[in-house]
This record gives sequence, structure tokens and C-alpha cells, in this order.
Amino acid sequence: MARVNNWQLGREMSYWYPEARPQKQFAAVFDTNKCIACQTCTLACKTTWTSGKGQEYMLWNNVETKPYGFYPLAWDLNLLEMLGGQEWDETGERPVYQGSTIFESAPAGERVLGWRPEDQDYSYPNVGEDDCAGQVDGGASLAASHDMAWFYYLARICNHCTYPACLASCPRGSIYKRPEDGIVLVDQGRCRGYQECVRGCPYKKVFYNAMTGTSEKCIACFPKMETGIQPQCFVNCIGKIRMAGYLNTPENAREDNPLDYLVHIKKVALPLFPQFGLEPNVYYIPPVHVPTSFTSQMFGPGVGKAIETYRSAATDSDLAGLLGLFGSSERVMTRWRRIGETVTGLDDDGNVLVNVPLKEPVHIRPAYDKLYQVTRSNCP
Amino acid sequence: MREVRYSVSVFILSALMLAVSCGKTEVPTPDVQAVAAERITLDANDAVWTNVPVHASRLILQDLVEPRLMEASTQEVRVKAITNGGQIAFRLEWADPSQNDLPSPKMFMDAAAVQLPIKIEASAPAPQMGEMGKTVQISYWRADWQAIVDGRADEIKALHPNASVDHYPFQARPLDKDPEAKARAEFRYSPARALGNSRSGPREKPVEDLIAEGPGTLTPNPAGASNGKGIRTADGWAIVLTRPVPEGLSLTQPTQIAFAVWEGSHGETGARKMRTGWVNLLMK
Ligand code: SF4
Ligand code: SF4
Repeated sequence: MARVNNWQLGREMSYWYPEARPQKQFAAVFDTNKCIACQTCTLACKTTWTSGKGQEYMLWNNVETKPYGFYPLAWDLNLLEMLGGQEWDETGERPVYQGSTIFESAPAGERVLGWRPEDQDYSYPNVGEDDCAGQVDGGASLAASHDMAWFYYLARICNHCTYPACLASCPRGSIYKRPEDGIVLVDQGRCRGYQECVRGCPYKKVFYNAMTGTSEKCIACFPKMETGIQPQCFVNCIGKIRMAGYLNTPENAREDNPLDYLVHIKKVALPLFPQFGLEPNVYYIPPVHVPTSFTSQMFGPGVGKAIETYRSAATDSDLAGLLGLFGSSERVMTRWRRIGETVTGLDDDGNVLVNVPLKEPVHIRPAYDKLYQVTRSNCP
Repeated sequence: MREVRYSVSVFILSALMLAVSCGKTEVPTPDVQAVAAERITLDANDAVWTNVPVHASRLILQDLVEPRLMEASTQEVRVKAITNGGQIAFRLEWADPSQNDLPSPKMFMDAAAVQLPIKIEASAPAPQMGEMGKTVQISYWRADWQAIVDGRADEIKALHPNASVDHYPFQARPLDKDPEAKARAEFRYSPARALGNSRSGPREKPVEDLIAEGPGTLTPNPAGASNGKGIRTADGWAIVLTRPVPEGLSLTQPTQIAFAVWEGSHGETGARKMRTGWVNLLMK
């Protein structure tokens, strides 16, 4: 094992291979507050990539209702239980993870701490849908550790991790992380279907295809990303919760890179289970209505501040403006700026891809249309 | 030490049981002895095997490279060999009460393999998958491939009878008129097959030829010409693996051979396996 730097943990950690960061890293921000669980993203991915034989129960993108939704079943709970205590030291400038990562707690004979889901675990992709936490009045028997009724939607794809456990687990090096953009791929010509990656990925985002005998995973729509277009699950998102791009390390963060701004500068978007140690590259704006005792286990110690910052968007025109760029263009916006009331998404060469107003104008139609002589209702 | 003695006694006991079960005293040989035979067979029940000496190879854990197998399963593989000069056939038999030939998440297949150095040399390659510059060649049989060769359909419903499938795009009606276009479309929806991954897809034989130069380097060997067939016995598997006689193997020139067995129900796959060290392979 090598020693590598994981900035999400605020410390070094052990990893199977030495640190080798890509030239740029594919990354994304998802705003959980805007997701409506319409599953358009799930279907957009499914129809594009996983409608072949052996992929019937495979969802590279899925949306689950937390706290009771899982795909596959109990993917997070199982590992959290195996991992043991996950404390953070929050006394310094940056929180430092005190517990063990899945690499550091690998049992004898293994490369990572992992577990294998069974085929049944994939059979109920929307289990727990819209089930809320807490006691429900009227004789319902739901009993849980949460003291208020809440739920939220967690949309998930592969995190194209900086330290992928899938890659570390493969004994034959069939998984690679592209140096040009950090996208993690399974080489379908080389994979021999040992399912070690399925066991190792804590997010359970590699899937075994029984008909091809190989493991398959999200490819971040690399043919689209290569031409500057965001992946299918991004451009089809009804709630406009997603933005894809490239993320720098904190010391190289740029204000004009939308993802850097949200992750490093505003710290409003947080990684999913950073304590696993993979430095995952999909970042979430945490749900504002959920007790932080729950979300801080899922998104790390920055949750309280992230929610505070998110709420301040009402008076923070830059943050509000940037959030307004989400879903505004299918192009990858690697740069952005706000001038007055106009927010602009640009590419690396400074070409304007889209302009959006800071505040969407509101039109109220008269209830009675004189021209067509009809009465219309204005639905929100 | 007690553990070692225990395993040795299990070994002797199983050898004795084998001898008794065959109805005559069949003392295992320390080497694999390839006996001259007029014909080569894929049938593990063929009479040609009757008087061939058996070698009982003790299996040990693959516990050298991660991921390792930490808990032993199959204890022993019993090996016979015949040759007609051009071809050599190995008959491997081992106990395995559960038949595992359904691939699925967390479901692994019963399998076995025979490994030989690619060149007969004074110093053999490392027994665990060979080493850089000292290649080994492997004939690998797998139970699900056997099921496919024996007629299992290339459909998810053949694996999971209750699987529900709405529609595959490559089965769209308009494609019915053009079977070739349909086949091409189906190929596109199966990346591993489209890339020619020898692990995936319909098969003509349940065996794959491979070469390796150390752990993690296993590569298909299109030049290989192995074949095989596995059948269920009362308590496990009996398989026959055939291949050309290793170059240079003669009455005066022995070589090395090693075996591996994967027990599907024990989660064994890839590096997680029971294996032997090198054993002498002699022409008789
Ligand atoms: S989320 Fe899982 S599959 Fe994706 S890169 Fe990370 S470890 Fe690999
Ligand atoms: S398409 Fe967008 S809003 Fe709909 S479920 Fe997916 S992430 Fe949520």
C-alpha cells in the first residue's frame, strides 16, 4: 500500500496504488433540495446504456428515498456497520478524519473492506420510496431513530473516485482511471467477471452482467463529455439539480470554475461518505430540512455550514446566480461569471455557452384571454 | 503442527477411500503418469480410463496474493492422464456436493484448470501463474460454460426463470426483416461480446486457453487448442481436459503440471481458489 493525500479527509491515507491525479477530474454537483425523484435521469441512462441482455436490473443512475431507500438493498448501512467508528476532529482549520477508511480497514487477504450484494438486493430499486423517517400518527407502526418525519431523494451515479476501490480491488488491472479526465472505466475486453470490484465499491456502482460475464459501470457518458456535452442523466434532469464539469484540488481552486466555486470556495456541496476514503467526485448540496445528525454521517462534518450557506443564496447573488446555471445548457460549463443581473456559462476558451437572468421574470397571464375568448387558469 | 498432521491423515484417508470406492487397490502415484492410449476421449466415464494410474493431488489455499482465499474448501483433486502421442487428456475428479453453474451477483461457478510451463526447462516457472519471461499455459473449464454447451439458452430467463423483461431495443419489430442487422444491434448492446472478450457469449466449448506470466497477467491464448467436458458424479465433478501434448514432453523428458479447483458455492473466483504446486508429469 502507498501513502496518498485525501483532501476530503484532511490527511494522508493508505491506498493500493501511489497517488496519480488525472490532468483534470470529471466531477459533478447535485442539489438534493431540487430533486423530485421523477427518475427521468434513471431512464435516460437506462435507455442509452443498459438495455442489453444481462443489464435488466442494472441502474448506473438511480434515485433513492433516504433514509429507507437503497439500491442495492442496504448498500450504505452494511458498510457503515462494518467500518465502525467514524469520528472527525473538528478542532483545527479543516476537519480531520480520525477513523479508518475502507482501505485502512481491509481484513487479511483483502485489498479493501467490502461486501457482496446478492441478486435479490438489486430487485427492488425503489424500495422505501417516499417512506419518511419517524413516527407517523394514526396507528402506523413505523419506529425509527429519527425524531421528525422527513425524507429526501438521493440521486446516485458512479463517483469517478480519485481513489477508486473498484480499481484497487481488481486483481488483473481491468479497471482504469483515464489520465485525461479522471473517468473510471472497466475494460470490457479484459474483465474476467471476478466481481472483486462489485465487492469493493462501497457505493455499489459496479454491476455484474451475468450474460456477458463481465462487470459494467457508469462511463460518465465519456463520448459526450469528450465533445463538451454533459452526460445523459444531467441534460435530461427535470429538476435541474445537476451540473457536470471538472474539479481542481482545493489548493488549485478557481473562482471562475463553477464546481470549484461550489465545492472549495463556498463549500456548499459535499462528498458522499467521504469517510470511506475514495475521494468521490460527485458532490451534494445537502437537504436543508433533514436533521444534521443524519446528513453529517452521509456528507461529512461540513453539513451545517453548507446548509447555512445554501440558505444565504437569497442574499448572495453569486451563489444564487450560479445555482441558476444548473440545467441551463447541455454544454459543459467549465467557466462562469455574473455581471449584474446576468449569469453566464462559458467554455475553456471563453466562448459564451449560455446567459441566464439572475431572477427569472414572472409573467402573470390575465385569467380571461380576450383574443381567444377563453378563461385560463394559471397553474404554478 | 497438529493441523498439518490432521490434513495429512485426511489425505491418506481420502486416498484409501478412493481405492475402496474403485473396488480395487488403486494406490495413488506421486506423479501424473500419461499412459499411452489408442484414442483420446472427452468422456470421463469412458472405459479407457479404467486402468490408468491416479494421482491424488492435495489442494492448498491460494494465499500468496490479494485477494486471497482464507478458508480451505476442496481438499483434493484426483488426476489421470492418457495420450495418443499428439493429444493428451487429463481426467480431473473432485468432491463438490453443490453444482454451481449459474452466474449472478455473488454467485460463482465451479471450475478447474490445468497449468503447464510453455517451455520444458530445467527450472520451472513459479507455480502460481508463472513469472515474467517464464510463461505458463492454462486450460480452464467452467461449469456455466458446460451448461451453455449442453444447451442452456443465451437468455436471462435461462438463468432467472422469473426475470421480467419489457423489451430489448435490438428485438424491435422492424429489425425482424433483417436478421443480420438484428444480430449486429444485439452485439452493440453487449460491449464485452462486441470487443471479443473470450469470457462472454455463446460458446462452442466449455474450455478456454490462457497464458500467464505471473498473478494478474492471465490472457486468452487464441493459439491454444484445448477442449473439455465436465459431468456431475455422485459427489462432485469429473471433467476431461484435452490439449496437444506439451512440446518436448517425451519418455525421457518429464515436465511440470499444476491444478486448480474453484468451488462456486464458497465464493471462489479468480485468485480465490484452491491450487496445487508443481507435480511431475511423465509419459509412461
Ligand atoms: S463509485 Fe465505485 S465504481 Fe465508481 S469509481 Fe468509485 S469505487 Fe469505482
Ligand atoms: S431527473 Fe433530476 S429531478 Fe428527476 S429524479 Fe433524476 S436527479 Fe431527480
